[in-house]
Amino acid sequence: MAQAATPTITQNILRDGLILPRTPDPAAMVIFGASGDLTARKLMPALYNLALNRYLPSGFSVIGVADTALTEDEFRAHMEQAVQKFSRSQPVDRAVWQSLAEGISYVRMPFDDAAGYGRLAAELDRLDRERGTNGNRVFYLATAPQFFSVIIDRLGAAGIAKAGEGWKRVVIEKPFGNDLKSAQALNQAIHAVFAEPQIYRIDHYLGKETVQNVLVFRFANGIFEPIWNRRYVDHVQITVAEDIGIERRGKYYESSGALRDIFQNHLMQLLSIAAMEAPPNFDADSVRDEKVKVLKSIHPIDVANDVVRGQYGPGWVGGQQVPGYRQEVNVSPASTTETFVAVRLKIDNWRWADTPFYLRTGKRLPSRASEIAIQFKNPPHLPFAKTAVQELTPNVLVMRIQPHEGASLKIAAKIPGPVMRLRTVNMDFFYGSSFMVESPDAYERLVLDCMLGDATLFAREDEVERAWGLVDRIEAGWASQPPPAFPNYAAGTWGPPEVDALIERDGRRWRRP
Amino acid sequence: MSTDHTELSARTFVDVHDIQEELDQVRWGLHADGEGSEAAQHAAAEARASVCNLIAVVSNEPELGEVMSVLDRLSVTNPSRTLILLAQHTREADKLEAEVSAQERTESGHRVSTERVILHAHGEPARHLASLATPLLIPDLPVILWWPGRPQFDNPLFDDLCELADRLVVDTDEGFDDSDLARLLEVARRNKAQASIGDLNWARLIAWRHVAAQFFDMPGMLARLAHIHGVSIFHGSDGQTAQARLLGGWIRSRMARVGIDVPLEFRPEDSLEHGVHRFLIYTGGDEGPARFSMSRLRGGRLSTQIRLGEQELAERTVRLESRATEELLGIELTLPGHDVLFEEALAAALR
Repeated sequence: MAQAATPTITQNILRDGLILPRTPDPAAMVIFGASGDLTARKLMPALYNLALNRYLPSGFSVIGVADTALTEDEFRAHMEQAVQKFSRSQPVDRAVWQSLAEGISYVRMPFDDAAGYGRLAAELDRLDRERGTNGNRVFYLATAPQFFSVIIDRLGAAGIAKAGEGWKRVVIEKPFGNDLKSAQALNQAIHAVFAEPQIYRIDHYLGKETVQNVLVFRFANGIFEPIWNRRYVDHVQITVAEDIGIERRGKYYESSGALRDIFQNHLMQLLSIAAMEAPPNFDADSVRDEKVKVLKSIHPIDVANDVVRGQYGPGWVGGQQVPGYRQEVNVSPASTTETFVAVRLKIDNWRWADTPFYLRTGKRLPSRASEIAIQFKNPPHLPFAKTAVQELTPNVLVMRIQPHEGASLKIAAKIPGPVMRLRTVNMDFFYGSSFMVESPDAYERLVLDCMLGDATLFAREDEVERAWGLVDRIEAGWASQPPPAFPNYAAGTWGPPEVDALIERDGRRWRRP
Repeated sequence: MSTDHTELSARTFVDVHDIQEELDQVRWGLHADGEGSEAAQHAAAEARASVCNLIAVVSNEPELGEVMSVLDRLSVTNPSRTLILLAQHTREADKLEAEVSAQERTESGHRVSTERVILHAHGEPARHLASLATPLLIPDLPVILWWPGRPQFDNPLFDDLCELADRLVVDTDEGFDDSDLARLLEVARRNKAQASIGDLNWARLIAWRHVAAQFFDMPGMLARLAHIHGVSIFHGSDGQTAQARLLGGWIRSRMARVGIDVPLEFRPEDSLEHGVHRFLIYTGGDEGPARFSMSRLRGGRLSTQIRLGEQELAERTVRLESRATEELLGIELTLPGHDVLFEEALAAALR
């Protein structure tokens, strides 16, 4: 009997029915800043958990790069300690760690040392030969921002990032620039070596399960989109409140402030996903196109009237007395850096015209909360007596990012009894009560997405630049004002008094998150 | 992690309307007598998340205890209304008892509330428990029928409950022989089958299937998939072969889709350790011979290796989760509709 011809297989049919994503290609991840805090606290534990759960391919390798005097064994031991301490899954499985650690090596070099990049290239070649990484590389810049450009430049000069066999991607941590000009310069420097699809700008907020759940909430449920617009929504409040101060980050925060630290990235991301149109699909450019459209549609901000800044003085938070910002370590006693910012903005499009969005973020506020609150308009007519409805407040849909992630809907209900009296009640859905499972860390999701070439949850060049454009406008407005009379709010309060005026002149009030 | 467990009420009823009323009371914390009132008020104070109705069928009292503890743990991740049916076809007089209770758990600051009904029937009512179960279900939520042990395929209750259910979950690792597997396939392929079939043993194979698929995700390996000429599956010699058969059935059914018939070799190893021990895939073709192997290691790990000709490629060790019954059930509860892959694997395992 003649032998049947061998079929041509174009896709991995053994993967059918598996919910787990496809396995990334074998690759080498080069971590610049490998002896730093981010690598120890986030990156290495994320890689370990990915390996543990079978997401990493055979041959996956890590090259740590830093200017710290460490032998390869010392570096591995340091990483193992980090995983022991910071991994979400405990106890650490020694055999799995060992299997991952076999692919970990270390190159010591200053980030601007051209000769060091020669050694790095040799190490990458070795991994291609011995571990089958096939020229696939992720360059992870977990360094201070001042090194971003120089590392990219040296990678280009050494030919390490050159297209050829395998793919090359670069991951850049925030802050991506500190104003529009520096962000554009950085984009230009990176584009000299990497094309835009190779660039993965991390905002770890987007890796959070609950932020992704906002998209699911909006676009996988048919009942919300029809009312998600100016016709039914009175206004939107987006809050990223922190009860902590600046910890030991005084030096960084002095040059950053709340505007750059949170507003430019996290608040802009939350605004985009709350206001965007439904993308046709969930691929990187479809989602990011819609987000950018929101940023493009923001009405020019009148800084004097629509922005409030603040800086905390001493006060009490959670029953503890805390110092003011100017008393923190590495902070100037005359600092004018803002630790609080609130912005009123409008989005000029058909969906949101004339619907105000109130955004606020701050340090040393009374509680920690990140949420998007959609306040709906009052019913056009209430057929009940005035006395029955005096305590009634409008419907509010709150999507809580943290803590207690979930959603709440505030509705009116009748108070039981012989007379018609209404009161407002909250219906709460706690994400954790329906899915009481441990969520992966945001970095696990983002690192895996990068290795799979999916940039949906990363910021694109135009997105970053649009957000910086907004920040620059606010900065310019502030520059034309007299210096602020800081501190102007006590730690443990919801910001300076002007922030209430910002919203109350529109006849509205801030929520207490 | 702190765990709180509160039994709000536990009473015996025989009338379905009484049971319904009691269920409403424990669900919304409406007890006026103060019994468990604090937990009940908590439950009433907020919207309740329920993901399904879960019916479990047990055949004796000791099994009841085990099933209850599995369902208690399952409720943490899948808050559900649970009906446990204890049907005893004894010569005892006809008898029907019901126990209604609500549980509330707090873990890591999250609170989950569920309610449970245990229906205990002797004699004739044991054959008609489905008629009692129907009005006790939460509307609009899927009905999952979990039948621990070997289902009584010939018991009319089995058919009645399958008609009621959206999904039947069994565990073929619990002594299923070939005729049981064949009966299961028959249930899955009934003309009017509403219930899709889930198998905890199939969920145990996820890691093996995942790792096997990963071999062919690697660059240059996909072409070798068309040249699979044999598979060896080593398993424990305790007489339980359903898991190995399903794994073999899976790869055979996948490859059959592209017209490749994969010969299967099953080899009991000299070990009483349960389930699949090793899974080897052999390929040939122009690229030369290759062997893709997965071996289960002690401590819940899987060691994987590729040999191309005489060259061993990078080895790696990953986790092979030893999942508890409630975790496996939890996986089954999230799967929508008919699991065609499972049904095809089951059919291929029986060829």
